[in-house]
Amino acid sequence: MFNALIVVWRESLEAMLVIGVLLAWISRQDQPAPLRRGLWLGAAGGLLLAAALGAATFAVQSELEGQALEIFQVVMVFTAAALIVQMVLWMRRHGRGMKRELERQAGQASGALGVGLVTAFAVAREGAETVVFLYGLGLESGGSALAANAGAATAGFVLAAATAWLISRGARFLSYRVLFGISEVLLLLIAASLLAGGLDRMIGMDWIPPLVDPVWDSSGLLDDGSGLGRVLADFLGYRARPSATVLIGYLVFWGATIWAMRRGATPRAAAA
Amino acid sequence: MAARVTRRAALAAVLALAAGTAWSQSLATYAVVIKNGRIEPARLEVPAGVKIKLTIKNEGPGPAEFENLDLRVEKVLGPGASSFVVIHPLRPGSYKFFDEFHPEHSEMLIVAK
Repeated sequence: MFNALIVVWRESLEAMLVIGVLLAWISRQDQPAPLRRGLWLGAAGGLLLAAALGAATFAVQSELEGQALEIFQVVMVFTAAALIVQMVLWMRRHGRGMKRELERQAGQASGALGVGLVTAFAVAREGAETVVFLYGLGLESGGSALAANAGAATAGFVLAAATAWLISRGARFLSYRVLFGISEVLLLLIAASLLAGGLDRMIGMDWIPPLVDPVWDSSGLLDDGSGLGRVLADFLGYRARPSATVLIGYLVFWGATIWAMRRGATPRAAAA
Repeated sequence: MAARVTRRAALAAVLALAAGTAWSQSLATYAVVIKNGRIEPARLEVPAGVKIKLTIKNEGPGPAEFENLDLRVEKVLGPGASSFVVIHPLRPGSYKFFDEFHPEHSEMLIVAK
């Protein structure tokens, strides 16, 4: 029962933090309505996708078919990471202020779609595991235990909402400028951790080699299996024993992202 | 943009999969069974410094998540489902695996020598 609470709390909190960061950013845009609609549509779509993914985990019984699911999940995390980066770049351009009305409308449409897709992926990724876990609990226990688990799951969700609210309250004391910077960095860190997770998955399937594994071992200093290290691992992609492949992935990710942001920041009056 | 990225990533994944299955055929393979939230065998000795493959079958009831935090292994399996994970060369030492859905009495130790 306690497990149900913890699992639901952790998974929902991760999805809610992404939603919270996006909401904070949306609320200071000129026309927040379409973006907000895109976000909630994305959240609903993500819930559906999570249910479908959870169902697929049960439906797929054999190793061979399981690989299709594995491929889908890897593609999903990489797509989500790419979308987040694309969205942060779009946010920067948009935050600078678009001159022409037409451009703004087009920007709003693609922005709402981007916001919606990122939300959908975030919700689906965290939701799928919750679905599997809760469905499994339902299979194992019937009657009163089921009711207790449902109660624990609800409590976990409410706790996550409360935690997310507390975090957003903390963020509200900051200026918009700082908040915007923080939300950018947070989103990019989430994207990097998605990328690391995807690479780890591919290494586990032997699709790519880890090269040197591990490059270092900082588990004595900060273990990524429990406490603060675990939180850093889940949200930011911290690794106590990273493989060279994951490190290269980080370097390429941050290199390419910073380069794209710099390029976007240089004045391009003619292009605008 | 999103569609293009998805298509490219899907293609890359399929190619990688084709290559991956070719490599992993000659690996030393160990069978792991999860039953009632217990992982069997409870202790597995493997050679250090070589790549190994674990096939994991969840005999249920209920789902399982075969997990090791150090090695970043995380597999969610429905009841009756099977999958595998390739473990890249291990340093001598012991590595603890558990079923995250039944953390209280599931534990498997892989000892690399």
